[in-house]
Amino acid sequence: MTSTAPAPAPSFDPRVLKAPHPVPGAPNNWRRFLSFNTDAKVIGLQYMITSLFFLLVGGLLSMIMRGELITPAADLVDPTVYNGLYTMHGTVMLFLFLFPILNGFNNLLIPPMIGAPDMAFPRLNAAAFWMVPVFGVILMASFLVPGGPSGAGWWAYPPQSIQNPLGHFLNGQFLWILAVALSGISSIMGAVNFITTIIRMRAPGMGWFRMPIFCWTAVAAQAIQLIGLPVLTAGAVLLLFDLSFGTSFYRPEGGGDPMLYQHFFWFYSHPAVYVMVLPVFGIFSELFPVYARKPLFGYHVVAIASFAITFLSLIVWVHHMFYSGTPQWMRNLFMVTTMLIAVPTGIKVFAWIGTLWGGKLRLTTAMLFCLGGVFNFIFAGITGIMLATVPVDIHVGNTYFVVGHFHTVIFSTITYGVFAGIYHWFPKFTGRMMYEGLGKLHFVLTFIGSQLTFLPMHAAGLLGMPRRVASYDPEFAFANVLASLGAFLLGVATIPFLLNLVSSWVRGEKAPPNPWHAIGLEWLLPSPPPAENFEDDVPTVISGPYGYGLGRPLVEDEQRYVAKAASAASAATGGA
Amino acid sequence: MTATTPTPADLPAQPAAHGHGHGDHTLTGFVIFLLSESVIFLALFAGYAIYKTSSPLWLPPGVEGLEVAMPLRFTVVLVSSSGVIYLAERALHRGRLGEFRAWWLLTMAMGTVFLVGQGLEWAGLPFGLGDGVYGASFYLLTGFHGLHVLTGVLLMGLMLARSFRPGNYDAGSVGVTAVSLFWHFVDVIWVVLFVLIYVWQR
Amino acid sequence: MTTASPSPGRSPRLWGVLLVLLAVLADLAASFWMAAASHHWLPVPASAAAAPVDNLFALEVGIGSFIFFGCSGVMLWTLLFNRAPKYDLDNGDPIEGNLKLEIVWTLIPLVIVMLIAWKAIDVSTTLSTLGGKVRVTGGHGAMHGAEGPAAALEAADDPAAAEPIEVIGRQWSWEFIYPNGVHSSELHLPEGQRSYLRLSATDVIHGFFVPAFRLKQDLIPGSVIDYSLIPTRAGRYRLRDSMFSGGYFSSNQTDVVVEPPEQYAAWLEQALAQPLRPAANAATDLYAQRLARGDRGWATVPPAPPPLVHVSADPAASHEG
Ligand code: HEA
Ligand code: HEA
Ligand code: CUA
Ligand SMILES: [Cu+2]
Repeated sequence: MTSTAPAPAPSFDPRVLKAPHPVPGAPNNWRRFLSFNTDAKVIGLQYMITSLFFLLVGGLLSMIMRGELITPAADLVDPTVYNGLYTMHGTVMLFLFLFPILNGFNNLLIPPMIGAPDMAFPRLNAAAFWMVPVFGVILMASFLVPGGPSGAGWWAYPPQSIQNPLGHFLNGQFLWILAVALSGISSIMGAVNFITTIIRMRAPGMGWFRMPIFCWTAVAAQAIQLIGLPVLTAGAVLLLFDLSFGTSFYRPEGGGDPMLYQHFFWFYSHPAVYVMVLPVFGIFSELFPVYARKPLFGYHVVAIASFAITFLSLIVWVHHMFYSGTPQWMRNLFMVTTMLIAVPTGIKVFAWIGTLWGGKLRLTTAMLFCLGGVFNFIFAGITGIMLATVPVDIHVGNTYFVVGHFHTVIFSTITYGVFAGIYHWFPKFTGRMMYEGLGKLHFVLTFIGSQLTFLPMHAAGLLGMPRRVASYDPEFAFANVLASLGAFLLGVATIPFLLNLVSSWVRGEKAPPNPWHAIGLEWLLPSPPPAENFEDDVPTVISGPYGYGLGRPLVEDEQRYVAKAASAASAATGGA
Repeated sequence: MTATTPTPADLPAQPAAHGHGHGDHTLTGFVIFLLSESVIFLALFAGYAIYKTSSPLWLPPGVEGLEVAMPLRFTVVLVSSSGVIYLAERALHRGRLGEFRAWWLLTMAMGTVFLVGQGLEWAGLPFGLGDGVYGASFYLLTGFHGLHVLTGVLLMGLMLARSFRPGNYDAGSVGVTAVSLFWHFVDVIWVVLFVLIYVWQR
Repeated sequence: MTTASPSPGRSPRLWGVLLVLLAVLADLAASFWMAAASHHWLPVPASAAAAPVDNLFALEVGIGSFIFFGCSGVMLWTLLFNRAPKYDLDNGDPIEGNLKLEIVWTLIPLVIVMLIAWKAIDVSTTLSTLGGKVRVTGGHGAMHGAEGPAAALEAADDPAAAEPIEVIGRQWSWEFIYPNGVHSSELHLPEGQRSYLRLSATDVIHGFFVPAFRLKQDLIPGSVIDYSLIPTRAGRYRLRDSMFSGGYFSSNQTDVVVEPPEQYAAWLEQALAQPLRPAANAATDLYAQRLARGDRGWATVPPAPPPLVHVSADPAASHEG
């Protein structure tokens, strides 16, 4: 088992992998985060910090919404203000929190995981990041324009979204479209970069089937961006023309068709949910083996299932339009394709459970968030199947049941996965350990808070409470009080998290290169890794990932890399 | 399974191609980008086809349709420029820099002629952007494509300027390859667009 | 797969099998209980569509519970019995996969979801005769309309005599115009008979949603949608706008009154005798209040004037479901 196979012919000179991107005059302190730095690790952290800030903004908006919804009447804010709040909440959370933070993970993890020094296009990478604060500011600025921000929901369905009551050219809806379009451009730039990097810059010996699952899911997710985003862009351009230049693509009075927008929108925005969840499937697949001390169960199938999800995600969008006058045959067709997604997704879920089975579980904070995330995901997947069922969706569609479904995925699964990833890789990229005690407190509060917030929403939806309402009938009051209390608890839960992030970054214990005894190229690097990762000395990969308990080395000459990382670490402490 | 022996599926990716700098990523990345860009057009074409087949109000009152003869001529110019740019590239590969510049400039000129032709056609049309879905989609589609032609011409200008930098092509000519790829892309899109808008009128 | 820690008993295998059997039985029992309970999570069933939808939902709750309890039960088991002791740095069994198992857990979900889909198509077909029939005309009906079998069916049992009730959605009011000329902002329907509705919207998309009926259909500007349903239980229910329609969307609600046919006919008669007057309308009131407070708040189009009706909805009336 311990014998090392002959190395694949050294068909290339590893030195050329060293990226010739000198960063002249780039500051080496915290100020580098404010500069146009082209180092993927700096960009990754820039993404993380920016998006965590917007998580707070989006969360704050949701707190105000929940404050409004704690009583049946629209008493805290005007209904028009409520509309703007939930629109901005959804938009901020998706385009300024979730997409950017996942790109943060891509930037931090992809190059070290595949042994590349940097992204394929470092400058494009930096440009893609710097668009995030730009459209963030644009979106925030829409709070200040006369008439307030867009209040048309994150779908921005016409004709409502193009009504432009004040008639100004510069209005909230206009800025909203602009921001979403810029976000799309930034995402396309990112997608081109990540896919090119993974295709072309893998370490010697790292064939596709030796790649960590996170990289598989990254390719699968970014492929969706490339195929889907252009369609949304086309739809948004037409919307912009209708809003601002008097065309009537979506105005029935001028021969237009409001339904076409819905097709354009969902053609992208359904697959987009898998852009968000796939990397988190990747994070789960990375973390369970580490903390269960077992190889990932059924690695090959899990890898391939990612692409099955990509493919299926592109042919299910009409399940958001079952009650829009969609013909019966089309509903049935899209119901079947939607339900098929349960198969590749189920493969992943079962593989994670198979990985847990008979393992030696370590309940670190990261592991707790993974376990909680999968638990919630199974629930949310099942409510997803209910929504896919045409006759049931006709009843619960556009009610709080949908809101409950998607927050259970988007918060209680995806955001949990994001937290898990942060707790797991924080030591690697900051060189500091996080405090486990605060972490566990964060987990416990978050877990209780999310059940309390999102479970009652399902109940309210089944009884017929529509979503996007500022006021509601008294029979829904009980569920809403629970949900609001839960939401405030979630707000409280972020305090230990923020405290942990800040204090451990500033004065946490120094992290060893491999604190979790994990297997993976990134763990062979010092913490934090040097600017170009392995530089000239890229290891040759000789086995698949997740060899826990198999006693096989991951790379040729593994001990040397371990020793090198350790000595780099002690040199750093010695010098400090 | 003894994963320590490389199976065919596990053979290394070919990072060897890394040899001559970043050119190869650039092309890989650019092709990926073009594939994505083509989806925007695909979406707009689909939208156009749906409007054309289902809109109750299609041609604005008083509009009979589009004249085909002139646009056809400009189409010929644009499409044949694809051949010209190929000649330019071939010249570059053979190291004839002067010849390359001549063909390259000709391509730019042909692109410009196309743009001018489009401008003239726009100026003479009896309907505007606000005239129903028909007017809106006509100007949006041709305008969006025209923007691509303009981008192509500007990029060619940039490449032309760079060709005067000594030693510019020592490390390869990825930029030129990418721009010419883009130009072919713009041409193919136009052919589809022409069929959709001008040929498929009834 | 082996059990985590074979107990020192005489036949661990037998105990393992028994335990699994017990767990499956418990899971089944819990799932049946959930399915039965699920009927209480829904509003009162008041249309012919309700029973098939509720039963389908119960089926899904049962299957879903079985999967959810099953998966999380196994996770809980590992959490309780596969924990690494403190300071134990060992690895677990290095199992990399099990082809048979992987095939099984690919096929089982496939079979389950296809069964659900098949059942759902069946229910949809039933519904298209019981209510929730849709035909879209005008606008882009050709593209989005329900042509084919459902439409054919409708043509078959569509008595020419049945003139539809016009349902008009506005920002933010509902108006119902009956064949005999009654205008109302409250929808009255005869119990046990098929009602024909003709849905249209004048400004933006609205949603016709009556939770007690389990039915929902969008009103799309530029299209006329023929819709029909069969109310089966007398009572007063909520009709809610389900498709976000801007500013005062949340107050765009009214009531549906289902009553025995004789009573319904009497109401039609009586209503016609009332004078036309503007309907009570929450959105216009709220907007007036807003103007009185100095028009603060974010932009909204002003509400359309309330429709002139013979009978106005009573905001104070209590409803079930
Ligand atoms: C972000 C991530 C995310 C994910 C991963 C999903 C996953 C799924 N979603 Fe969800 N969904 C959203 C985010 C997401 N969704 C959002 C944001 C909306 C609302 C948008 C808006 O309106 O604003 C939405 C809305 C939405 C609708 C529209 C409802 C409506 O508006 O009327 C539907 C309908 O089909 C749906 C279905 C599904 C299905 C079938 C899955 C499947 O992928 C789930 C598959 C997973 C499982 C099934 C569990 C694991 C599998 C097993 C354990 C195997 C065994 C299981 C079975 C045999 C069932 N979703
Ligand atoms: C990533 C996506 C994401 C996330 C994480 C969340 C998180 C939350 N969401 Fe959100 N939500 C959406 C995406 C998301 N949501 C989308 C897309 C919609 C649909 C919009 C539409 O219909 O158009 C929606 C809609 C939506 C609604 C329905 C609105 C309606 O239909 O009327 C509600 C209602 O309760 C809600 C609540 C919450 C709550 C309580 C959280 C909680 O999990 C949040 C927890 C809070 C925090 C983690 C931060 C705590 C912050 C503080 C304590 C303040 C500190 C602040 C500063 C220092 C600045 N959301
Ligand atoms: Cu940069 Cu390879
Ligand atoms: Cu979807």
